[in-house]
Amino acid sequence: MIELRSVWFKYDKRWVLRDVNIAFKRGTIVVIIGPNGSGKTTLMKVAGLIYKPTRGEVLYNGVNVWSLPKQKRLEARRHVVYVHETPILLRGTVRDNLTYGLKIRGYSEDRIEEEVESIVESLRLRSLLDKKTGELSAGQSQLVAIARALVVKPQVLFLDEPFAHLDREKRSIVSTLLREYARGRGMGIVLATHDEYLAEQLADNVVNIGEIQGGQNIG
Amino acid sequence: MSFTEALSIAARSVYIAGTATLLAFTWSFPLAYTMSLGRKARLLATVLESLVGFPTVLVGLLVYMLFSRSGPLGFLGLLYTPYAVIIGEALLITPLMTGILYRVLETTARRYWEVAVSLGASEGQALATALREAFPAVIATVVMGFSRAIGELGVALLVGGNIRGYTRTLTTAIALEVSKGEFEDALALGAILLVIVVSLSVAARLLLREERP
Repeated sequence: MIELRSVWFKYDKRWVLRDVNIAFKRGTIVVIIGPNGSGKTTLMKVAGLIYKPTRGEVLYNGVNVWSLPKQKRLEARRHVVYVHETPILLRGTVRDNLTYGLKIRGYSEDRIEEEVESIVESLRLRSLLDKKTGELSAGQSQLVAIARALVVKPQVLFLDEPFAHLDREKRSIVSTLLREYARGRGMGIVLATHDEYLAEQLADNVVNIGEIQGGQNIG
Repeated sequence: MSFTEALSIAARSVYIAGTATLLAFTWSFPLAYTMSLGRKARLLATVLESLVGFPTVLVGLLVYMLFSRSGPLGFLGLLYTPYAVIIGEALLITPLMTGILYRVLETTARRYWEVAVSLGASEGQALATALREAFPAVIATVVMGFSRAIGELGVALLVGGNIRGYTRTLTTAIALEVSKGEFEDALALGAILLVIVVSLSVAARLLLREERP
């Protein structure tokens, strides 16, 4: 579980997050809504353990992640994955991207093959597997970015506008899969979106970021 | 001018500009990397970018004063040697290379560093990934630095002295041939210079196309 306690985040001279308190539990799908520039992405990156908050604590399973030694923090980080709004794929093939997270975790070749097979099957990516990432459409890139995150089976997954470039069929495949991961495997899933229809369809909880920004601007 | 001599001048130019580029890279890259880690480096980046257009003849003059017999580094005896030209050209292209490398590291490398971290990479793994992804842009920067170095005249002329068989480069040779009224030779040397710069640029593009995702 990821919990933000009195989290403040300052970017340049502007407070983007002000006294935010929120918890993301395993097995639930939370959708964060809010207008552009309201801090959704920053919230996701802070909760996704990429950004260190300027003030406050980010707890993973009850432990303040940023007070942990590097190795312990890395272990915690490996259970939490964030997917960018604009898919950023590594150079090489789709397979290279799907195996990246597994390789850096030191998994065996057999296990890597098994995990990749499974996600390729679920998201119907077989025809793309050996394609270079530069040859993919925006929708295909987004699908690969989502697959790359799901293949490492994080406990909590943050997806920033995950359906932005996907057509109806792919949206349906991804939505079904996300529900399956949340219900069946207990994965905590957090999505940021403008799409209120989608929010209603998928979410166990809908959070309006404006309502969780607590504090006033401070210097 | 014989064909052999022209080739020898071209080879010397490539050697001097290439070494200057490598030398500039050895300090530009760590400097750009350090700058990309700090949030207050934008001012320094702006200063460096404004120095990109620093007149080459002025760099040459400053390096000349540095290495002249009465200058602070005069005891090294480097004036009118290829080493002085290498140092001068390295200094000349440092703002260009550092400025571009900073932008590359600040944008491309940072983006990929973040992706790697978000996927569970350690800091070392994330850095390696970011640098791997930034590689094409780094190569492009090196090519730009080399092109600027091999095409400059002010430094090579002032601190190299255009000594035949020793410090004469394509640009100083062109200047000499023009002053003698030997326009055919000057044009031939200019063509060689152009071929070197364009070939390198094309080679880099081909390499990067191979490297592209």
